[in-house]
Amino acid sequence: MATLEATHAGSMPEPTGLQSVRRRLWRLKWGVAAGVVLALIVASAVLAPSIAGHDPLRVNIRHRLVPPAWMSGGDAAHLLGTDQVGRDLLSRILYGGRVSLVVGIAAVSISSTIGVLLGLAAGYFGRRTDWAIMTAVNIMLTFPFVLLALSVIAVMGPSLRNMILVIGVAGWPIYCRVVRAQTLAIREREFVLAGLALGMSHARIVFRQILPNVISPIVVIATLQIAQVIILESFLSFLGLGIQPPTPAWGNMLGEGRIYMLNSWWIATFPGLAIFLTTLVINLMGNALRDWLDPHMKL
Amino acid sequence: MSQRTVFAVLSIALVFLFAAGAGAQTRDETIVYAITSDVDTWDPPNSVQRTAIIFGYQVFNHLAERDLKTMKVGPALAVSWKALDDTTWEVKLRQGVKFHDGSPFTARDVKATFDRVLDPTKKMTARGNHAKVKLVEVVDDHTVRFRTDGPYPLFVERLTAQVMQSEKVMKDKGHDWMQEHPVGTGPYKLVKWTRKQEHLLVRNDDYWGPKPALKYVRIRIIPDVATQIAELVSGGVDIIKAVAPDQMDVIDKSGQARTSSSPILRTAFFQIDQAGRTGKSPFQDKRVRQAANLALDADGIIKHVLNGLGDRVATAVNPMAFGFDPSVKPYKQDLAKAKQLLAAAGYPNGFDFRIRTTIGTVEPGVAQTNEALIADLGKAGLRAQQSFIGESVPYISQVKEGKAGPMFNWSWGYYSIFDADAILYDVFTCGQVYSYYCNKQLDDLVHAGRSILDEKKRAEIYVKAQRLLFDDAAYLFKWGLRGVWGISNRLEYEGPRDEIDRMYLVKPRKS
Amino acid sequence: MKRFVGRQVVQLAIVIVGISILSFSILHVIGDPVVLFVQEGAPKEEHERFRKLLGLDQPVYVQYWRFASRAVQGDFGKSWYGDMPVLDLVMERMPPTIYLTFAGLAVALLIAFPLGTLAALRRHTIVDTFCTMVAVGGQAMPIFWLGIMLIIIFAVQLRLLPASGYGTWQHFLMPAFTLGAFLAPITMRLVRSGLIDVMSTEYIKTARAKGLGERMVVAKHAFRNACIPVITVLGLQFGQLLGGAVVTETVFAWPGVATLTVEAIRNQDFPVVQCAVVLLALIIVTVNFIVDLVVGLIDPRVRVGA
Repeated sequence: MATLEATHAGSMPEPTGLQSVRRRLWRLKWGVAAGVVLALIVASAVLAPSIAGHDPLRVNIRHRLVPPAWMSGGDAAHLLGTDQVGRDLLSRILYGGRVSLVVGIAAVSISSTIGVLLGLAAGYFGRRTDWAIMTAVNIMLTFPFVLLALSVIAVMGPSLRNMILVIGVAGWPIYCRVVRAQTLAIREREFVLAGLALGMSHARIVFRQILPNVISPIVVIATLQIAQVIILESFLSFLGLGIQPPTPAWGNMLGEGRIYMLNSWWIATFPGLAIFLTTLVINLMGNALRDWLDPHMKL
Repeated sequence: MSQRTVFAVLSIALVFLFAAGAGAQTRDETIVYAITSDVDTWDPPNSVQRTAIIFGYQVFNHLAERDLKTMKVGPALAVSWKALDDTTWEVKLRQGVKFHDGSPFTARDVKATFDRVLDPTKKMTARGNHAKVKLVEVVDDHTVRFRTDGPYPLFVERLTAQVMQSEKVMKDKGHDWMQEHPVGTGPYKLVKWTRKQEHLLVRNDDYWGPKPALKYVRIRIIPDVATQIAELVSGGVDIIKAVAPDQMDVIDKSGQARTSSSPILRTAFFQIDQAGRTGKSPFQDKRVRQAANLALDADGIIKHVLNGLGDRVATAVNPMAFGFDPSVKPYKQDLAKAKQLLAAAGYPNGFDFRIRTTIGTVEPGVAQTNEALIADLGKAGLRAQQSFIGESVPYISQVKEGKAGPMFNWSWGYYSIFDADAILYDVFTCGQVYSYYCNKQLDDLVHAGRSILDEKKRAEIYVKAQRLLFDDAAYLFKWGLRGVWGISNRLEYEGPRDEIDRMYLVKPRKS
Repeated sequence: MKRFVGRQVVQLAIVIVGISILSFSILHVIGDPVVLFVQEGAPKEEHERFRKLLGLDQPVYVQYWRFASRAVQGDFGKSWYGDMPVLDLVMERMPPTIYLTFAGLAVALLIAFPLGTLAALRRHTIVDTFCTMVAVGGQAMPIFWLGIMLIIIFAVQLRLLPASGYGTWQHFLMPAFTLGAFLAPITMRLVRSGLIDVMSTEYIKTARAKGLGERMVVAKHAFRNACIPVITVLGLQFGQLLGGAVVTETVFAWPGVATLTVEAIRNQDFPVVQCAVVLLALIIVTVNFIVDLVVGLIDPRVRVGA
């Protein structure tokens, strides 16, 4: 399959002086603001044990479906209300953030590592290696993700680790394609050819000369993919394949809470807002990162 | 993209949008019934789905059918039956009944139906239901004799599980044709089936029994329960089933529909691996199992989580099943005694273990009640780590293969046989695939119960069996379930206890 | 050109075979399909009987060979439940999904093109920021959440549209919008970056120099080139679109092939899953093949990388 990413490989703009840095920062003000919000979200997840008022797993069947504190029937002890078995919703969202962010970061680390390595190999060695890897990419892109997820979770059990594994393993083709295209372009540039002529080892050329030049699109894609993974987790929860109860994660809270939309709307709405806000700021930051690193990047 | 291309895309989209088609039947004469997944066939004995049983009731008849008021099995296509001896039953058939294609219903059809189902070379799932039937003989046009392999006390109950199909259709049209074209003797006829979307049925005006009040039935397939409720309260659908207890107020407050609940023939429990199928565990000690039973506040959970929609039972035998003994009183929560028993068994600080859970539409609110039950167990020191398996096939596989111990959540629907044997044999005797309990004394009782026809003696045996299971705390006993239906205010209907909706009982509501 | 097409066809075949082997082996590890056939209360011998009847007593490679040798002749076998030829079953459910996909695509383009163009032409203004926010917001919304919200608003509260189902044009609106919202953000992003790129090329500068109005420049010259990445990426997204279709079809009770496939996976109806997976793969691969071909014709540079 054709790739277009090659056209703008490695056109890193050079900042010229403090003036322009400041101007570019201003241009990226939304990205910066998003970064601050994201930092707050991450902090609240990390600090969940000390800021959450309740144990997120503590069931209290006599206090089920309590509405948020500001509504009639609300309870000041539960700011965002309680869920279907009487657990404090705010605490669950704080703890759920830990799980969702961990899944996002871990899965993206796995898929980007696999993708980058295979992409480098395909682009650098070309020919058979390239053909084999790109065939694998095409199979992955065409294979129904649901079937893959279902099988892994059915066979290995629906644990947090397996969820990360499924999403991580399914996500590598996008990195592979981008890295391969960039590598193809860079491989023919003077410094690589010079290195080859000087007798440098393949590993040295690939990791010292090519890798640094493909890193910026990877950073951007990885950032954006974290948001995608969080959404994907909710998709799996919708199909009943998400993170197992009682562990809170935004996706499974949304998935379980969706049948309460007509009466106890808060159960699904607040985790939904958490996902929305987080993916929104991650995306804004990703965009800003892209503009900063390479405004011509096509992602 | 050129403007022309944009227009092309748009016009294609519009063509699809206006490719409309609406039925000719009017809404007033139609019942819209929603189910979560479609049947794969209109040939009920060839189906694995419960839904196919429900479908069968609309279009076919059975030799015997259950009266929903008395819950007794009564005549349908058979008018009477009697046991000639321990292994022979004689059944007299109703006269003057016609199939939808106009041909008469006779004894030859009964024989052909059973012969087809019992043929081991055919992939008929219903064969397991009738494995005890050895031979079906035609005596005359309206008399049939069944020879069974040993005494078969469940014979009459089992007659309610087999639809009568036409010999002529089997011969002339064949198996494949029958998958899509049901020819029955029932109150409705199939008009049109659009797979995974809907079925349209029309009243059979030549029906031998009381005619249905509404002319049309539309059965719609709506997979998501949230969407089903939205359809019900916005008037798109008339009857939905398996409403979660938490959703009842949405329906009741809508002004469009109401809920109806009824006890159903299904008991829920946590199975405990007393038999050690998965390996050794503390639960093989009777005191530990008793402690677990004493830890539960089942009454509180029924009241607060299930909105009262559960009937606490002392064992797993359902109050509606033959042989149920109301004199055995359920365990009551007693944490002090539970801890004491645990200490006596050598676990003064409790222990950790794994419990497998799943969800399913058959057990209302199961995710919520599981969380509450596990919290209760924890209070006595039985710290359960939940291992949740969302998919039914892997879950059932694990259960059947004996890998689900030491504890897992389960419920049993008695394959719609209202008899204690339909749970005791399959779920409690040694070596059965669903059983994680093994006790020679119980085995003897159950085997005695299924080898005699005398009802009184059988009832006595089952009383003994229930006392034994209670004292031995065989499993973690919960409750008998209640089903909840959502019903449009324009219709008169009640949720049936055997979970088999009968559209011919639906009537328009007088306003 | 001939070599390009030839190589692509070979790859296509390999991808299809790879996918069928992968899904076949995955199905066999998920669980034992026989558990669904044997009714509660049936004697144990029923297990073995069904295993034989379904051919599951054979080694897996024999089962695969049996499937593959028939499949190449267009015979995918019969559904284990209901005995219907699976090819008919899958083909019958294909149109609703294709209509939904096209309708969703149309909605996505209707949102993405105006917003993307506006954002590109008014780059780094509040308009651009607003358009980006809309796109990002759309992407940050789990698709089933949007679907349920639409049902609650338009069917339950306002009673304007049917909550679910298939048949009339009213039934199309909410599912198409849901799926469209899922696709619109990425499309918009591509339109924007594509246009920005093209607008700074010599070619556009020449067009401007010739004195063409800005509107003409954008409409006649810039769009065509900005379309290339949009087409390519949408082709690649086609597979993902089916993932979105699963959710949309489930929420709106849409009788399509995506839900059929998921249901068959759950019921372990091997013949249906195999047939659906292979046909869907065939469609996705073919769509991408055509996309490559079209893009290759417009822009010969990309053929190098194939």
